[in-house]
Amino acid sequence: MSDSAIHISLQQQQAIPLDVQLQCQTGELLALVGPSGSGKTTILRAIAGLYQPLNGHIVCQEEVWQNSAHHVFLPPHQRHVGLVFQNYALFPHMTVLENIQQALYDIPRQQRRDQAFELLKKVHLQGLEQRYPGKLSGGQQQRVAVARALARRPKVLLLDEPFSAVDQVTRRKLYRELLSLRQSLAMPMILVTHDLEESTLLADRIALLHKGEILQTGSPGFVSAHPQTATVARLMDQQNLFTAQILDHNAQTQKTRLRWRGIELEASYQPQFPVNERVCWMIQPANVLLHRRDRPSNGDKENPMQGKIIEYMESNGLAQLLVEVDAELKINITINVPLHVAKRNQLGLHENIGISLLSEGIHLMPHQALRREV
Amino acid sequence: MDSPLKQLTVNYLHKTCLAVLLLFFSHVSTAADSPVIAAAASVKFALQEIAKAFHQDTGKSVRISYSSSGNLTRQIQQGGPFELFLSANAQYVAQLYQQHKTLDQGVIYALGRIVLLTHKNSSIVLDEHLSAVNLALKAGQLQRFAIANPLHAPYGVAAREVLQQLGLWDLAKPHLVLGENVAQAAQFASSGAAQVGLISYSLALAPALQNRTRSLLIPASLHPPLQQSMVLLNNAGETSKLFFNYLLQEKARDILSRYGYSAP
Amino acid sequence: MDWQALALSVKLSLVTLIFLLPIGILFGRWLAYRQFLGKSLLQTILALPLVLPPTVLGYYLLVVFSPNQGLGLWLANTFGTTLVFNFEGLVLASIIFNLPFAIQPMQRAFASIPREIREAAACCGMKPSQVLWKIELPLAWPGIVSAMVMCFAHTLGEFGIVLMVGGNIPAETQTIAISIYDKVQAFDDHAASVMSFSLLLFSMLTISFTYWLSERSGQSHV
Repeated sequence: MSDSAIHISLQQQQAIPLDVQLQCQTGELLALVGPSGSGKTTILRAIAGLYQPLNGHIVCQEEVWQNSAHHVFLPPHQRHVGLVFQNYALFPHMTVLENIQQALYDIPRQQRRDQAFELLKKVHLQGLEQRYPGKLSGGQQQRVAVARALARRPKVLLLDEPFSAVDQVTRRKLYRELLSLRQSLAMPMILVTHDLEESTLLADRIALLHKGEILQTGSPGFVSAHPQTATVARLMDQQNLFTAQILDHNAQTQKTRLRWRGIELEASYQPQFPVNERVCWMIQPANVLLHRRDRPSNGDKENPMQGKIIEYMESNGLAQLLVEVDAELKINITINVPLHVAKRNQLGLHENIGISLLSEGIHLMPHQALRREV
Repeated sequence: MDSPLKQLTVNYLHKTCLAVLLLFFSHVSTAADSPVIAAAASVKFALQEIAKAFHQDTGKSVRISYSSSGNLTRQIQQGGPFELFLSANAQYVAQLYQQHKTLDQGVIYALGRIVLLTHKNSSIVLDEHLSAVNLALKAGQLQRFAIANPLHAPYGVAAREVLQQLGLWDLAKPHLVLGENVAQAAQFASSGAAQVGLISYSLALAPALQNRTRSLLIPASLHPPLQQSMVLLNNAGETSKLFFNYLLQEKARDILSRYGYSAP
Repeated sequence: MDWQALALSVKLSLVTLIFLLPIGILFGRWLAYRQFLGKSLLQTILALPLVLPPTVLGYYLLVVFSPNQGLGLWLANTFGTTLVFNFEGLVLASIIFNLPFAIQPMQRAFASIPREIREAAACCGMKPSQVLWKIELPLAWPGIVSAMVMCFAHTLGEFGIVLMVGGNIPAETQTIAISIYDKVQAFDDHAASVMSFSLLLFSMLTISFTYWLSERSGQSHV
């Protein structure tokens, strides 16, 4: 049984601090997510061989690319990597076809042209063979870069923020193309991005990076809903992040009770936190229910509270509300509701509404200092 | 990959390499048959005529490098490829002999003279004791006086001697324009850049200068004799030795006397 | 018109170019891509000929290669040749004197190639030599050409160093610039003016041609 995955382990302290262990399986798309400076691009470059960390161990499809302990380091041209650069790095003095052919020099000349044409077709760029990169749009350049990376028949496909240089509309189109291309690719794929939405759309798993360390890996949905620490929650852009104190755990009702600034909350059973301990907690907007005047539901009974809408924004079919639950203590909870629900319930600024926090959605994390202690 | 630019450049490079190779070989052949002679700038026109006659009579040719005698001496000391040296004085030849750069002590082949020279259209009166020049200098009418650089040109040394003997050195000094060799000094004076100059008689007799200048011989008593000397250097070959002898023969002597040189 | 002097000047320029092309590419590339201890010192030394009077360089060359002592003596004893007052000596002087004119434009040309493009080439499977030949040289070419133009024109007009280190030996070191100087001193104004004008035309033609050449190559990768 051969291992066609890629295993990466990098450590170093000076220059750019790194301490990561990663794995990516064939056909899996792993997104390295994190703020700028967190080391994502450095890791990608290390995998490609463009950067040599002090301590590294990289094995791809059972081929050792780096082993610092044995002083093994394969230069980039000896690794079969496909790297799509952020600014595409197309060769400006060569046509599109010639660009792609540069990665095909290990096959006989006759087949090179045909292969290049095939790849162009794959990225939907047939007809543009003789164009020069200077005369291509951003989206077209990106596709050529992908085709060239694939021409290498790589053992791993690496993408360094490949969508950051194009506009929104083109980006959506490219997402769809990448997703459909994925089906036919039998290799691990590692994508670097700082865009959380992008990682949610494209990745099977994400690895959240912060200052050279991986804080958490998992599917985008899981990491979103179950961040291990408040830092992770913040990096995943969770708005509803607060502190509370554990009151008790009840194994029979499978509930944990918290005191949140004078409000008692019932969360799902999370006994790992001792009683009376301070914790951080979060709840995703999707788990905050609006009390609908027209259609009350059972969920309304879970952790109900009243509040006033102090911010109201419409975007993308959603109404984003900031609800002030306690004016004195200024606790605000962000919830999203579909636009039609907002309209029907006549939601708007300064409206009083009732909301419920679903116990299932209250996720507890170890205490740490938040920017605002709430 | 086969861009037209690349083709063009490759072509260009090809032609360049060929051209260079050809030139290289042409260079090698010239060096062999025609030895280099170092000659003082003052004897330029006379020597050119003599070399032409030499070529007509023997079929052989020489290449001549002109500069000030002092400069040439230095070049010989530093290993210059010269085979024969014609100096405007005897001292440099003696110096080289003592430094074992020469085959023998050499020979004085002629005596040179100095002239006072000015542009044809200038108003300066030429007289043997430079009295008009003296007056002009005192009146502030003469700005530039050309002589060869006494540091390394024998004719410059002689010019300085003349001026010192006539008591004009201190007066003329701030106005002196020094030619790198006596030919350059002549050029300054003949073009009018310097109002007047003390240069070699042999240059003043050159056809090009005759047409546009006036000159007057300066008495030989005003300076030490300008003993034109020549000597064969250590690496002298057959042709150089032939030329050396040719210079002592009748035809060469005639040419030299036409350029104002007298027998030693 | 002193054809011999002109041919000699052209020959000197071309031979200098032949040496400076690889030297310039090597050093230009090395300085563009690498950081190392002593880099600024090296760059300073390489830039000296820009500010140094030709006579200073000429002086040092005479001192070092004079066959009476040291290196010059060793050369004379071992190979029977010298590097003063001959064409080879001029070539050496010319190479040294043109170093910054060759290296600096080429260094800029190589530095202007985005690092990512070279990295992309490596990821395509190209060995460093292939990256140089297929990617770097074509992209740096306009800079390389303009460096060569500079060196050619500069050598063609070089006077001070030739006078000091070459002497004035016809067919050996009497370049056209020296020949013009010579003709002036021989009161041959006609010859001097003919040669000066021809040199002016020749230089203009050469420079125009090479700028045209570099513009053409600049267009192919807009």
